[in-house]
Amino acid sequence: MISLAAFARRAAPVLACVGLLAMWQAASLALKNDSFPTAIEAIRAIPDILGDKEALINILASLRRMTIGFGVAVLVSIPLGLLMGRSRAVAALFNPLLMVIYPVPKAALMPIIMLWLGVGDITKTLVIFLGVSLPVIYHSFEGAKAVEEKMLWSGAAMGLSPAQRLVRIVLPAALPEILTGCRTGLVLALITMITSEMIARQSGAGNILFNALDMGQYDTVFAMIIIVGAMGICLDAIFERVRARLVRWSEPQFDMPLSFS
Amino acid sequence: MKVVPSRSSEWVRPVTPQKPASAIIEIEGVSQVFQTSARKDHVALSDISLAIEEGAFVSILGPSGCGKSTLLYVVGGFVSPTRGSAKIKGRTITGPGPDRGPVFQEFALFPWKTVLGNVMYGPRQQGVRAPEAEAQSRALIEMVGLKGYENFYPKELSGGMKQRVALARTLAYHPEVLLMDEPFGALDAHTRTRLQNDLLNIWERDRKTVLFVTHSVDEAVFLSDKVVMMSKSPGRIREVIDIDLPRPRRRSELLLDPRYQKYVVDIERMFDETDPVGSPS
Ligand SMILES: Nc1ncnc2c1ncn2[C@@H]1O[C@H](COP(=O)(O)OP(=O)(O)O)[C@@H](O)[C@H]1O
Ligand SMILES: [Mg+2]
Repeated sequence: MISLAAFARRAAPVLACVGLLAMWQAASLALKNDSFPTAIEAIRAIPDILGDKEALINILASLRRMTIGFGVAVLVSIPLGLLMGRSRAVAALFNPLLMVIYPVPKAALMPIIMLWLGVGDITKTLVIFLGVSLPVIYHSFEGAKAVEEKMLWSGAAMGLSPAQRLVRIVLPAALPEILTGCRTGLVLALITMITSEMIARQSGAGNILFNALDMGQYDTVFAMIIIVGAMGICLDAIFERVRARLVRWSEPQFDMPLSFS
Repeated sequence: MKVVPSRSSEWVRPVTPQKPASAIIEIEGVSQVFQTSARKDHVALSDISLAIEEGAFVSILGPSGCGKSTLLYVVGGFVSPTRGSAKIKGRTITGPGPDRGPVFQEFALFPWKTVLGNVMYGPRQQGVRAPEAEAQSRALIEMVGLKGYENFYPKELSGGMKQRVALARTLAYHPEVLLMDEPFGALDAHTRTRLQNDLLNIWERDRKTVLFVTHSVDEAVFLSDKVVMMSKSPGRIREVIDIDLPRPRRRSELLLDPRYQKYVVDIERMFDETDPVGSPS
């Protein structure tokens, strides 16, 4: 039955969450460790955090840095990746640089950046920017490279200039691949956001988390983990909806049928 | 020792044979040499000269790898020849342009655009206003037999339908010459026959110049006024055959016509000599 299948699809993630929390609860009760509060204790601490003005300001500051870092990275990385994918010269220029930056954990650069730019917003936003850029550049590059040459020729025959072809053919044709990169970038933005706040402890969600850890408020620590995790899930879900709308033309039409009923 | 290139070769090169007064495309001494990875030059075209009359349906026929596509790309302006030049209406071709409309075997539709969006793309690019472009495009979509599919995306269409869209998309910006590179090569036999018939019907209305690449002998004979036979390595023109069959052509009549059968048999024999079984490819 269709309605049952649809219900099962909707209910699956909820069931997974409940199952995880139940396992947590059971493990915590079994271990009886002070530094491992039960799921219920952690969830109870959430309203306290979200009701606290100071904490809210911290979380919003985190989100702001993340949004700016992510947004700027996407705006810079997509054009760069597309150009690299279509021009051998641009690729030759930037590839060595990217190959050096790629394996370096971006958080490892923080001490140097802090030294130069301080522990404020600029440093943290820059680290987020670096974390997001690479997957977006890489996927834009791969997407642009894979664009069928005959499609570009068809555009050229219609009178599109090289710049117009890049914006009006390469960009939309590579969009599914670009958005895959952006989705990875979004998760990395969240990770680098928290990491940067762990290193430069001054404000933000990561700061609340580690202050609570220092003070032995373990239910707050776990509550923060839930909050950050929920933020990640929500952002990813929103992004996924937008992505699916934008590239509907490229998705396979139907789910693969699991049964013939 | 530096070898001075002999100038005399330029004088003995044969001039374009029987160049018709009304030639729209002139290909003059075109050679195309590709550098292969083994640092060995690969000659795809050697010294091709050909004139194509305005309004003619000309097929380029030859075995796979003999340089048919390369020749078409030179005329399209997508690749520039190593030597020689191609001209359209006396102007040397230096790049692609809306006077030459390609239709590729791979369709090359814009997958993010609907059927209507694909067909409207060219006219909109040329500055035709949206309502006008839309009306023209809808008429073209109907002409290629896709009425009702205007809002479908390419992924929702079969191969034959995609190629119909590609043809409509190219016709929409009114190129003077259609450049078709094995457009029906990826289709099943039945679909191919239908598209050949429909292409002929469309072509017989306005008699645009068509340069049509194929490796199918009966396709070439059925469609063309003239068949240019190419031979393999290095890509040369082997023979130019005028197909003197009445138009409009009906497939059912033509298949029974002994003249048609003779063309097919003769050209097939020539094809076998050009590309004997067991020849290195
Ligand atoms: N870009 C290229 N680089 C190197 N060799 C090429 C290139 N394009 C075509 N060739 C070679 O040139 C020859 C002619 O190719 P093509 O024009 O595609 O033949 P056809 O269309 O008749 O099958 C082939 O041997 C092919 O391998
Ligand atoms: Mg070919």
